[in-house]
Amino acid sequence: MFLIFALITLVGALLMFRLKNLITAGLSLVLCFIGIAGLFVLLGNPVAAALQIIVYSGAIVVLVLFVIMLLASHEEENPEKPRSIQRWGSAVTVSALGVGAIWIVKNSKILASPTTPNVDPMTLNRLGASLFRDHLVGFEIAGLLLLAAMIAAVSLVKREL
Amino acid sequence: MDQLSALLHMSPATLWMAFKVLLVFAGPLTLAALMTWVERRGSAMIQDRIGPNRAALFGKWRLLGLPQLAADGIKAFMKEDLVPPHAHKFLFWLTPILAFLPAALGFAVIPFGQSFQSGGQTYHLSLLDPGNGMGMLYPLAIGATAVYGVLVAAWSSNNKWAILGGMRASAQMVSYELGMSLAVISIFMTTGGYDPHQIIAAQNGMWNVGPQFVGFLVFFTCMFAETNRLPFDFAEGESEIVAGYFTEFGSMKFALMYLSEFIHLVTASALIVTLYFGGWRVPFVGNPGVLLSVAAFLGKTLFFCWVFVWVRWTLPRFRYDQLMKMGWKVMLPLSLANFLFHAFLMFRRG
Repeated sequence: MFLIFALITLVGALLMFRLKNLITAGLSLVLCFIGIAGLFVLLGNPVAAALQIIVYSGAIVVLVLFVIMLLASHEEENPEKPRSIQRWGSAVTVSALGVGAIWIVKNSKILASPTTPNVDPMTLNRLGASLFRDHLVGFEIAGLLLLAAMIAAVSLVKREL
Repeated sequence: MDQLSALLHMSPATLWMAFKVLLVFAGPLTLAALMTWVERRGSAMIQDRIGPNRAALFGKWRLLGLPQLAADGIKAFMKEDLVPPHAHKFLFWLTPILAFLPAALGFAVIPFGQSFQSGGQTYHLSLLDPGNGMGMLYPLAIGATAVYGVLVAAWSSNNKWAILGGMRASAQMVSYELGMSLAVISIFMTTGGYDPHQIIAAQNGMWNVGPQFVGFLVFFTCMFAETNRLPFDFAEGESEIVAGYFTEFGSMKFALMYLSEFIHLVTASALIVTLYFGGWRVPFVGNPGVLLSVAAFLGKTLFFCWVFVWVRWTLPRFRYDQLMKMGWKVMLPLSLANFLFHAFLMFRRG
């Protein structure tokens, strides 16, 4: 089960940055998100899975595709001149991050002494409690940031209010 | 149940699951097929016409035009499967599946009858048992992915009308999702849970439509927008953009997309019944039992399906700017006010 969803996620992600057509790339991103939602369910967190689908594939990618469809060109543009330093730099960064992630997983204390995981699934009630009781400050700051970004976007678009 | 499962060499749970999968897949599909007939006969009745009445079984039995369903299906299968030359071939082929899957999946969480016990085991009449952690978030998530059927159909057919229709339909679906979700959230709040079994259990004695009447109005209106039905059917418009996003689709591809619209309608009715009309509950009967509860659920769902048809052939359609204004300036604030009002009530009660 894990392998299926992991494969869906990986194939979606790979297609997303290999495809030249922006619309099909966006749809591959949705495939990737659905794979991630499946992984969330396997991890005993169906709420995160539902929110992943509602917010990311249901709203954000739809808006991205919307904007792409309104543009004239649906193809990725070729760069003016190839910059090999960008390519090599990104390859090195990604491989360093990958090695770091594997190193952290290998050295984690939970993996050394596996205990039976907490099996009762995440519920919306628990999520709400942790957002509004344990992490209230972070939640409010995020809300404030989003509000500021929204007001800025509106004022940029609407020159005369 | 135990004897039957022993006969098939399956555990009762597996057999019950297989039975439920079959039922939840075939039930809404059958209802949707019947709804296409109800729509045509109903529209004819409302407009004082006769409606489809020529198709007949073996040239003899007309059965009020019901054989028309079979005739349509056979016709759709036999027609040439045409792909326009400038369409994106793969996405064009994928679109009917993208439209059909969310429609067929949406029903999985809705309890269509009272849970019963047999042989020391409890059997739930919903595909996903209570306590799955997904609850009513599931139909919202599935409904959110339904917009891809529209968007991909519009873009892959490479047609101006399809793009315009798809843009209008998807913008409308995304805008009305907000009001709808807020209406559902105030139900979560008053229930204290978000599992449909819990929501139905909390409606013992008083259906949610009483205390949550504003929420019901918002949800009901948003369902029309989500299913792209009149008075909000901006996905198509014969005089301006032909059939909108499925202009280029023919034969069985068109039939699947048309059918998925009606499955959405059935699921929307079932959701309205579950959230606001007590699900399988029967008035004045505390413990209706399996048969009566399923019959009650079916009856209520069919009534709302009929309301969808009724409204379509009674009300004129809105203008597109009116639709957007209504979604953002009426439905969203109304739903927010409803939410705050119920939060305040709960705060006062302590």
